Amino acid sequence: MRNLLDDYALVSRIRYRNVWLKLTIAAFGLLVGVSSTSPATPLFIALSMGFATLFFGKTPLKFYLTVLLIPMGFAIVGSLVILFFFGSGSEVFYFEVFGYRLTANAGGLEMAILVISRTLSGMSCMFFLALSTPVIELFAVLKRSGIPDSVIELSMLMYRYIFVFLEVSMSIKHAQTVRLGYTNLIRSIYSVAMLASTLFIRSYEQGEKLYLAMNSRCYDGKLTLFETKRPIRATEAVLASIYAVAALSLM
Amino acid sequence: MPILATRNLEYVYPDGTAALDGAEIEIEEGKRIAFVGQNGSGKSTLFLLLNGTLKPMRGEVLFRGMPFKYDSKSLKEIRRRVGIVFQNSDDQIFAPTVYQDVAFGPTNLGFSEDTVLERVNHTLEYVGLAHLKDKPPHHLSGGEKKRVAIAGVIAMEPEVIILDEPLSNLDPVGADEIADMLDELNHFGKTIIISTHDVDLAYGWSDYVYLLSDGRVIGRGTPDQVFGNPELLKGAGLRQPTTLEIYHEIERRGLANRNKAPRNVPELVDALKPPDLMWVRTPPDVEVGDTLNLGVMHGDYALHSPYEAVNAKVVYIHDPGCAIAEMERRGFRVGCIRIYDMAGYTPEKLRKIMHDADIEVVGAMGRKSKNIAEGDGVHLDIVAGVIDRAILMALSGKRCLILTNGGMVEHAIKRISDYVEKSGIAINVDVAGSENCRE
Repeated sequence: MRNLLDDYALVSRIRYRNVWLKLTIAAFGLLVGVSSTSPATPLFIALSMGFATLFFGKTPLKFYLTVLLIPMGFAIVGSLVILFFFGSGSEVFYFEVFGYRLTANAGGLEMAILVISRTLSGMSCMFFLALSTPVIELFAVLKRSGIPDSVIELSMLMYRYIFVFLEVSMSIKHAQTVRLGYTNLIRSIYSVAMLASTLFIRSYEQGEKLYLAMNSRCYDGKLTLFETKRPIRATEAVLASIYAVAALSLM
Repeated sequence: MPILATRNLEYVYPDGTAALDGAEIEIEEGKRIAFVGQNGSGKSTLFLLLNGTLKPMRGEVLFRGMPFKYDSKSLKEIRRRVGIVFQNSDDQIFAPTVYQDVAFGPTNLGFSEDTVLERVNHTLEYVGLAHLKDKPPHHLSGGEKKRVAIAGVIAMEPEVIILDEPLSNLDPVGADEIADMLDELNHFGKTIIISTHDVDLAYGWSDYVYLLSDGRVIGRGTPDQVFGNPELLKGAGLRQPTTLEIYHEIERRGLANRNKAPRNVPELVDALKPPDLMWVRTPPDVEVGDTLNLGVMHGDYALHSPYEAVNAKVVYIHDPGCAIAEMERRGFRVGCIRIYDMAGYTPEKLRKIMHDADIEVVGAMGRKSKNIAEGDGVHLDIVAGVIDRAILMALSGKRCLILTNGGMVEHAIKRISDYVEKSGIAINVDVAGSENCRE
């Protein structure tokens, strides 16, 4: 029914590997890819991250390509603009639209390729993290990085109840649809407004119930979070270092 | 002394509706108690009062004779001893993973990280959810969520567990599993309180029943007393339990022979036998009501099994030496039930026992036993309501094996011998593999 990155992350084969290692790899790739001046490094990073996600994490290829397509669409449109309106140097090719001459020159071409490759590398780093590390694993990381407890606790509760309310809103929407709530624009606006207000009231009630439930299990004002210890394995460390050296040497 | 009691409890909601109006209850330790009533009869409010979440307007709640105090330290103590499982699991499970949710209670009790880890793992193992501990709750089924909610409470090791409508919104198998789990918890000494409007559940499951209507206790007693009283049920807006209704119908047609109303299907089936009357020759000094031992009969004289020990209860003396007697037959070999203690389990031993004893039906009780058996590819014929169904199978001549573990072995033996005692039908019960697991 729904296709959430988080659902794929939960079943990823590398879910239970050290979170810090995965974060470091993703951050490293992101920084190096964006700061590189040649397209080779970002492309190498994109390939490695894609390989790691698909081969180690066993994310389905079709799903991976679908999610990658969304940012790539934007990147390609952007690069087309860059290709024809930016840069200088020798003319590479041109064509005419309604008598207006669109020229692509060497500088523009180089820049467009660089933008695309940087986008690709950045996105593949982000997807590597998002498809291998479920949100629930990140709360412990947030805690270690010194973010105030109350913020983390709130986000934990929010994360949990997103799905509860997603379900509630889906069933309300179905209830509205079967009684012809979305037959025309006016009805739709009216129905969405009702859905939103009902959802607001429901969340308010849910808050009350939540407090009751927590209280009856001796809630004393704080949630504790345990970080599961998952030491970095030797092979992981070696692989990651080889990857880092290779990426840097391409700079 | 009752473990939980209330005196003249009153609670009025801010809008003026009285949720409870002078409720008096007494909960005995180690019992299974059901509160039955329509929606809005005050069950949920009562439960929140029993756990100190709400404070009564008048009257008091007592734990082992001590009135509740409502300062935060006493409340913590009360909530540790009286756990409550809400009707909607989503209201209760708030942590992002199963593990964190179950760990919430023990952490609040101030245990060290290692103790919490141990308790949570033990509890998850016990409810059969160890493999789901890193899952977020929105990936679980309704029955699994309910088990997480129960695990969250039993991880705090309460003495009383209160469950608001524990079986509502569950599929039949899921509901049976939860019911089995409650039986198991009760067997290990927990006092279990449930609310329900399912009269069949309350009638078959509980030791003691309270009928609630409009915030008042309108009836209380054993299930027989409460559900045998049509006026009372009408007042509470409830119907008769199905087993009881069928029993009354067959009794009216003269087809039932028991005086005691049946609580479950085996007892109901047993009630179907017409009275077995026979002319017998008696010694001269016999009086009405005496029991004569007629010895062992077989062949045409044994009606239900190959050999029967027959006693005759004299109901009418015609001439001296000639009387009408009601036969009480005890079959020697109906089917049999063997109970296998999973403590000494190996797949080979189990297969050997199944082969040697020529087992036809295998049932498993408790999540853990089920998981182990299914993991090793043992085909389970019965997974829910195991004891009752094994009895029914044994009555129809099947040889059954029940896989279970720990104290549930004794629980099963006790249930079956209770049946044997009540019905007078002998079922062979023994524990297989016991030499492997008992010192």
